[in-house]
Amino acid sequence: MSTSQTTPLLEPALLAQLERLELVSRKIFRGRMKGERRSKRKGQSVEFSDFRSYTPGDDLRFIDWNLYARLDKLFLKLFLEEEDLHFYVLLDASASMDFGDPTKLQYAKQLAAALGFIGLCRADRVRIEQIGPPKQTPGPVLRGRRSMWRMLDYLEQIEPGDNTPLVDGVKNFCLRNSGKGVVVLISDLMEKAGYESALRMLLAQQMDIYVIHLLSPEEIEPDIKGDLKLVDCEDADIAEITVSRPLLNRYKSTLAAFIEHAREFCTRRGMMYLMARTDVPVDRLVMNYLRQRGLVR
Amino acid sequence: MSFLSNALGSWWLWGAFAAMLPTAILLLYFLKLKRQPLEVPSTYLWTRTIEDLHVNSIWQRLRQSLLLFLQLLLILLVMFALLRPGWSGRALIGDRFIFLIDASASMAAKDVKPNRLADALKKAGEMIDAMQSGDVGMVISFTNAARVEQTFTSSRTKLKAALADIEQTDRTSDLSEALRAASGLANPGRTGNAEEGDVAVAEALPATLYLFTDGGFDTVPDFSLGNLEPIYTPIGVLDAETSNNVAVVAFNTSRNPERVEQTQAFGRLENYGDADVEVDVELLLNGSVIDAQRTTLPAQGQAGVQFELTDFEQGGLRLVVQHDDDLAVDNSGYAAVNSTRRARILLITPRNDALTMALGTDEAQKLAAVTQLGPEVLPSAGAEAAALTEAQKNYQKAAASARYDLIIYDQCAPLEMPQSNTLFIGRSPPLESWQAGEVLSPPLVIDVDRSHPLMQMVSFDNVTIIEGFSLKPPRGSAVLIDADIGALFAIAPREGFEDAVMGFEIFSVDEKGEVLVNTDWLKRLSFPLFVKNVVEYLGGGRSAQRSTSVQPGAPVTIRTDAPVDKLYITSPSGAVFPPISRERENTFVFGATDVTGLYEVREKPGRGEEVLQRFAVNLFSPRESDLRLRQTIELGAQEVSGEAGWAPARKEMWKWLLLAGLGVLLFEWYVYNRRVYL
Repeated sequence: MSTSQTTPLLEPALLAQLERLELVSRKIFRGRMKGERRSKRKGQSVEFSDFRSYTPGDDLRFIDWNLYARLDKLFLKLFLEEEDLHFYVLLDASASMDFGDPTKLQYAKQLAAALGFIGLCRADRVRIEQIGPPKQTPGPVLRGRRSMWRMLDYLEQIEPGDNTPLVDGVKNFCLRNSGKGVVVLISDLMEKAGYESALRMLLAQQMDIYVIHLLSPEEIEPDIKGDLKLVDCEDADIAEITVSRPLLNRYKSTLAAFIEHAREFCTRRGMMYLMARTDVPVDRLVMNYLRQRGLVR
Repeated sequence: MSFLSNALGSWWLWGAFAAMLPTAILLLYFLKLKRQPLEVPSTYLWTRTIEDLHVNSIWQRLRQSLLLFLQLLLILLVMFALLRPGWSGRALIGDRFIFLIDASASMAAKDVKPNRLADALKKAGEMIDAMQSGDVGMVISFTNAARVEQTFTSSRTKLKAALADIEQTDRTSDLSEALRAASGLANPGRTGNAEEGDVAVAEALPATLYLFTDGGFDTVPDFSLGNLEPIYTPIGVLDAETSNNVAVVAFNTSRNPERVEQTQAFGRLENYGDADVEVDVELLLNGSVIDAQRTTLPAQGQAGVQFELTDFEQGGLRLVVQHDDDLAVDNSGYAAVNSTRRARILLITPRNDALTMALGTDEAQKLAAVTQLGPEVLPSAGAEAAALTEAQKNYQKAAASARYDLIIYDQCAPLEMPQSNTLFIGRSPPLESWQAGEVLSPPLVIDVDRSHPLMQMVSFDNVTIIEGFSLKPPRGSAVLIDADIGALFAIAPREGFEDAVMGFEIFSVDEKGEVLVNTDWLKRLSFPLFVKNVVEYLGGGRSAQRSTSVQPGAPVTIRTDAPVDKLYITSPSGAVFPPISRERENTFVFGATDVTGLYEVREKPGRGEEVLQRFAVNLFSPRESDLRLRQTIELGAQEVSGEAGWAPARKEMWKWLLLAGLGVLLFEWYVYNRRVYL
């Protein structure tokens, strides 16, 4: 944990690679400011979209005069409007994220920084938020490369131990951010109450949702033995186990079922799900897996 | 005998024990499991993992406390073992057992199915099965000889294998040798010295002697059982007054003294049953029936049969009683009739008319072929081998190759003793063991040993001997004529031969060369009788004339006319034994006479070869044929009555319970180490 704190969230080499990437939204969203990407909205841009009949009150600048000359009818040219992208990163900073080497939280921060940097480079509206109670000050809205340091500063100050239930944190996020956009939820999904309602809530925002499921190798292949009293670091729940090969096998199948259920839940609802191990370097995750999944290109 | 027998002594102690131990284990079990705490990101997955194990079934709960239940089971088993549950069973008496199995002919009786020997082996097998661990057993089979089939061992497998090796024989039974073999360890010999007194050479190991027999043997006198505890297990039908058996108890042949060409065969039959039986008796010659008779045998009585055979020189006769009874082996008698073999006698004498005449009688000629030679055939002392005459060489060869059964040296003595029986008349043999005294005159005969075959019927009354010398025969000799000057006639064994030495001459030659008569014995009747005895005894004529018959297991001495090196014996079943080699005195000794029947002797193997002679092996044992079971047997001074040989015993279960407990313990250990949740 301590070692991961000293390493920078973004390596210079990675920055160079990330500069060439851009965030992709599978949906075209309306932004508040003019951005670098097309929107569904017809508007002012160089990209032609459609014609429609003129109705009084339309902007005369968009009447296709050549067509009028030929057909003696007034048609209005419609153009696609280019917009900016609202990109959110929702970071789970519960105590359970403070495990592994590097910790899952550190990994999540690195991932958030990388994705946020891509968004900043493309003049997207980037906001990184920690899942937390309503009173918590939300993360800053960032735009432009210059905001990178603010983003990193914000990430650095996120501390583990905020055990707000996922569903509450997401609800809080949704209340504050009504706009549409791309949201990346980075969490280990270890919620006793279940992660499903939280994801449904995000879905209701009609956002383009990416779920990055972070698991440390210790969770995937636990190296434990003996008679153990497992203590949950979040709620101090106790599970008494006697480690045996059959039990470990059973745990693994439970984990596999857990992952499979999350994947299926997300896929059915149009969310993109990605299970990430913290022992896979961040740059490889971003450059390979997230590109494959279509979050960046 | 109660099912439970508390090993702790008092019941309240056991009760306290039974109440406290499981409680203690339960307490310990709940106290002992101290799990190591380990902080994990989330117990979410773990709870879901062990959730399945906690489903609401008794078995699932059981699995969690499998070790506890195993421990409780273990302690229950131990406690039950402490109760010493048992039931009444039977056990052998003692911890060292000697199983004496009778394998004699009578054990082939079929009055118990399948036969007595099988029954005995079965009973002995049951006893071996009942042996406790640590018990040792020994198996001895006995007939007229004892055979230790298995020495003391605790291996029941070995003992049973030894039992399986015991085979039925046709032999008679004699317990004494078996008893001696059995008592070797139980009654070690004692030794003594002046200081310590009488001490045992080894520690006595008392043993229980299980006798599986029908008691068909003579009482064993002069035997002290000592530390042996005899238990007689009678094999056969108990309380039977009679037995269903007809036996040939004797069968013999002899030449009709009046008509030489005729041979008579006599058989004696005995009925051991309690009813008169009419039986057909068949006489077979070399396997084919030549005569038959029907005779009636009274209950518990005997009858004789007689057959006349004419123009019969040699062959094997078999007398068969056609009667379906319990013992088959005694329903046949065998007799071998061989052509009479004449003894070969060499007489070396300057001249002895009386001896020549006595050997020349018809009777003597029937018994022996006599060759007479002069004393010049004997090589003189210091003679070179090259200087020997042809006659001397021939004599040397004959003497060394046992060509003659008997060589009589009259008034002369050889330089070396021949390979034959000898009779020295008026000379001492060239042996240091024989010492001759001075020639004295006249010796007075004091005593004659007429029990010796040489002196049978020989009377020395009024016999005058003019001069003679006393003899100092070697050890082991028998003095046949005692005179006032000492032994006058003695016989001594020499490496399988016998040398008879007479201390007086019959004819003597004085310094002037005149023949003098030294005794008037030659005028008496006893002289030719003596010569006949010499021919029969020293010449072996008697054994040649007799048709040989022995009981199973007894050795047979075979003499051949022609000097051969090897003889091949064919058993009644047709099997050829390995050749037997010649022993001293031109005899062959054959010992494998285990089966009754006719044995054929050939010079070369093969059925087509000429049969030199035959001999018969017959049971002829009323003790074996009388199948009545002896209720008691006498072993020395002790009378042993038949009993089952089992002692009532409590069969304990605690060993098995402890064994089961050990199994549970092992299983618990396995479970603990593998953490196998089924």
